[in-house]
Amino acid sequence: MEPLSAFGITTQIFIQLLPVWVALIATFWLSITYKRRLGLYGKLFDSVVGMIGFGIVMFWVFTGFFGSLDMILTHDPLSQISGMKNKVPGTPIPDSSVPYPHYLLGGDNLARDVFSRVIAGAWVVIRIAPLATLFSFMVGITLGLPAGYFGGRLDTILSFIANLILAFPVILLFYLLVTPEIVLTGLPQYMAAVLFFFPLVFLFMLVNSRFHTQPSTRNIMVAIIAIVGGWLYLSLVSQSGGGSAITVLPSALDGFDIPGGLLVVFVSVVFVNSPTVFRIVRGLTLDIKSRDYVAAAQTRGEGPWYIMLWEILPNVRGPLIVDFCLRIGYVTILLGTLGFFGLGLPPESPDWGSTINEGRKLLSVYLHPALPPALALLSLVLGLNLLADGLREESLRD
Amino acid sequence: MSKDAEYDGPILEIDKLSISFFTRLHEIPAVMDFSAKVMPGEALGLVGESGCGKSTVALGVMQDLGVNGRIVGGTIKFKGRDMSEMSAEELRGLHGNDIAMIYQEPMASLNPAMKIGKQLMEVPMIHEHVSKEEAYNRAMEVVTDVKLPDPKRILESYPHQLSGGQQQRIVIAMALMSKPSLLILDEPTTALDVTVEAAVVELVKDLGKKYGTSMLFISHNLGLILETCDRLNVMYSGEAVERGSIEDVFDKMQHPYTQALFRSIPLPSADKNSHPLVAIPGNFPLPHERPHGCNFGPRCDYFVEGTCDQSFVPMETVEGHDLHESRCLRFKGIDWDAPLVATNTTEKAPVGEVVLKIDHLKKYYEVAANALFGSSGSMKVVKANETLSFEARESETLAIVGESGCGKSTFAKVLMGLETATDGKILLGNTEVQDIPIEDRDTQTVSSVQMVFQNPFDTLNPSMTVGRQIIRALEVFGIGANDAERKERMLKLLDMVKLPRAFAERMPRQLSGGQKQRVGIARAFAGNAQIVVADEPVSALDVSVQAAVTDLLMEIQRENKTTLLFISHDLSIVRYLSDRVMVMYLGHVVEMGTTDQVFSPPYHPYTEALLSAVPIADTSVVKEHIVLEGDIPSAMDPPSGCPFQTRCRWKDQVPDGLCDKDLPAVRYLEGGHQIKCHLSDDTLAQMVPVIKLAAE
Repeated sequence: MEPLSAFGITTQIFIQLLPVWVALIATFWLSITYKRRLGLYGKLFDSVVGMIGFGIVMFWVFTGFFGSLDMILTHDPLSQISGMKNKVPGTPIPDSSVPYPHYLLGGDNLARDVFSRVIAGAWVVIRIAPLATLFSFMVGITLGLPAGYFGGRLDTILSFIANLILAFPVILLFYLLVTPEIVLTGLPQYMAAVLFFFPLVFLFMLVNSRFHTQPSTRNIMVAIIAIVGGWLYLSLVSQSGGGSAITVLPSALDGFDIPGGLLVVFVSVVFVNSPTVFRIVRGLTLDIKSRDYVAAAQTRGEGPWYIMLWEILPNVRGPLIVDFCLRIGYVTILLGTLGFFGLGLPPESPDWGSTINEGRKLLSVYLHPALPPALALLSLVLGLNLLADGLREESLRD
Repeated sequence: MSKDAEYDGPILEIDKLSISFFTRLHEIPAVMDFSAKVMPGEALGLVGESGCGKSTVALGVMQDLGVNGRIVGGTIKFKGRDMSEMSAEELRGLHGNDIAMIYQEPMASLNPAMKIGKQLMEVPMIHEHVSKEEAYNRAMEVVTDVKLPDPKRILESYPHQLSGGQQQRIVIAMALMSKPSLLILDEPTTALDVTVEAAVVELVKDLGKKYGTSMLFISHNLGLILETCDRLNVMYSGEAVERGSIEDVFDKMQHPYTQALFRSIPLPSADKNSHPLVAIPGNFPLPHERPHGCNFGPRCDYFVEGTCDQSFVPMETVEGHDLHESRCLRFKGIDWDAPLVATNTTEKAPVGEVVLKIDHLKKYYEVAANALFGSSGSMKVVKANETLSFEARESETLAIVGESGCGKSTFAKVLMGLETATDGKILLGNTEVQDIPIEDRDTQTVSSVQMVFQNPFDTLNPSMTVGRQIIRALEVFGIGANDAERKERMLKLLDMVKLPRAFAERMPRQLSGGQKQRVGIARAFAGNAQIVVADEPVSALDVSVQAAVTDLLMEIQRENKTTLLFISHDLSIVRYLSDRVMVMYLGHVVEMGTTDQVFSPPYHPYTEALLSAVPIADTSVVKEHIVLEGDIPSAMDPPSGCPFQTRCRWKDQVPDGLCDKDLPAVRYLEGGHQIKCHLSDDTLAQMVPVIKLAAE
């Protein structure tokens, strides 16, 4: 078997990513065709910057997704093939029984396929980053709205706590949270119990404030939230097996377990991001609450949560959506940082941060194991920033 | 000075100017075929509704149209020189030196981080390279000229330390620093209170005479134009539709739009029952949806199919008048003197039971004197409402008149239950509600007292459909058994406010200001409100729309026997629609009585000044000229004794300095007319009417 040339590598990668290209083309074609009917999302396709950003982001989303479906991976990201240690990109595999004849982007320090690890790493990011950001937003919104709307002592206390968290060095906080001793005390699980409760509160308030005038509809919706949300919440929080701090659900009912390390990462990311979201939401609420439509809602006797969630929140969505995109980028960097320091995730995990850290050790001799994950991280964050720019630009235009 | 004083032709000559803005999709013509001429020392008024292109003309003259705007035809000549041929440097020399502009929002025109003195001195230092001392003296001189007290202190202060009126005076001073030959004023007083507006207008007029400056005065207010200008240009949808001298246009108008405009503003002769206002039907066309032929065609009473909708309508000279032109094909054939046939006169609705009784209502706010350590520092009390007592009856319109800071909005808040009263009583029917905040009021009470808000662009939630917002009110008020019934009721409410039912699915941004205000009215009446507080419901609307919305409000009131509390500072509209009037100043009710009592002598001195301050667009009206000195005192630090004593022109008529010492008690004159003033009955009897029709 001959080693592949640079052109050969590119072609092979292109072919390997075929499902991604198909999905991207389909997304763009559909979006551009119906862009006038799609609101802000449709307007995004008027801006070149926004389209580029969206394209890059969707590239990684599809890559991660199809990667997880085993449509792109050439090798198992964790298995080693002897003789492939630190081999340059395009090196053929001596053993011909493996399904794919080459290491497209070479092998790493432990003779694993770099290409497959980058693709598998995308799935780690795509799974955690948006979800963690979403949870941060739920927490930040649920606390930021009342802080801005009621003001006074509540605002003072919440803002103080937010500032306290922000003032604490993030990396130190992470080190603290993942220390085995701390994990054993169950602190991350208790934090998860608190932080994951906010989405439930948020959804309940959202439905209750809107439908309290129609008790029958309200009761059905609240029941759905309580059962589905409650089950998800309890499954998330309680871990089956020994050594868990919180075991509410018997393991028969426990829907799924999150690996301990992942939960810690998730909790930490939500914990450090929600204060910033809190401050943004609080500021926006202060601005909107003096509008006449808020006064109109007050004069017809609406409750504070209706005003906050249905009169104020929808009207601050513009800046929040933009911040959401930017924040996914921060979270991606944060995940990279965590992986780089080996915090939380298992050491063999293919996430980009860990991979960069491993590649770093031999950087002066072998560049190729560290470079692809670094470029992947860079391009995803860049894409998210461009997307946020595009959204901001288009949301200001009419 | 380097200015060519020998030039005696027109200062500004605009000939067939056309300006367009270019967007991604199309070209939007903002101004078309606009001609005007300003002679030395002359003031030209530019009047029209929002979106008619009047500000664009001003920006065109300033050659400041931004990236998207471009002059696509015609010329602008300044002192005989074509401005489009001037270089950027020449234009810079012209701006602030020969041409100065005053904008609507004074705070936005001043640099908040720079002291007033420094901002003023910059003008001659940059344009004429004069020394610092010279510039300082000049600054001192103009600040004195604009009648600001204590010029030295003013020059040393930052913009935020001055009131809105003072800021606008500073902007005027800055414009006058370089003794420009042309002053462009773009709605210079719209953001100010009426009495302050009157003083600023007076100042602009005087300074115009003193410096011999020509002025281009842009306003939507015909009354202001009448007071300030020599000639005027009426604009509609990007075109000048009529131009001529003030007398010709006001009294011998030759364009249907001008006529319709005058019929839709509440002049002293209008009356809601016998001489109702005539609203202009339809809506202002959007720039890219203008009709073929005459722009005003679809809304015009004299529209003739086949004539008016054929081709471009040119400006034509009216024979026998002084430079009077009209953009109408049929103006020669229209009988302009035909009296307006009052089509829909109505009977005055009988006034019923007392539904609302306010008894010695007080609302005080405690404000921390020291913001940082509020609880420990001394507290200041702001008396927002001081012993309010009045009754309002079914089907009655009670106007609450006063300028900003007089406590009218605080009163509305207390009545609605957004705040609770400090003392006194509010009786709604038979229930005392002064201490019940809105969350503790029962649905019946909440739905029976509703509010219509001032700003149409703010009154609707921008991210909810119109129908949804009305349905929400119905849901909260517990009206309708299910969604279908509520939907039906919502559509009926849309019918009631004369909006097409299709609007239910629209988002607020797709509606014009007047339409949004109608939705706001529909929402307020969703729960069959008994009392509706209308907080300046039409003041942010265009003149032609104001009349329609006012009429709608009156009509709904007649049908529902609603009590309307009409909060306003605009006395013309108050006179037109209210049965009784309550005048407030710094939290006190200074005068209350029926509309006739309040609008005729004897007046409270503040009412008198207010009446004189309101510009009236009627050449036959002669006004007593009263200009109040200074600004409204801060409610944080009210004057001792009578609240109005700092600005009262009758103060010296009261012996022993009583005005400084004692708060006057409420006095009852004949017919239940109340006045809070120390003036003796004799002095009050000597007062003459402020507004007189010249013919009488």
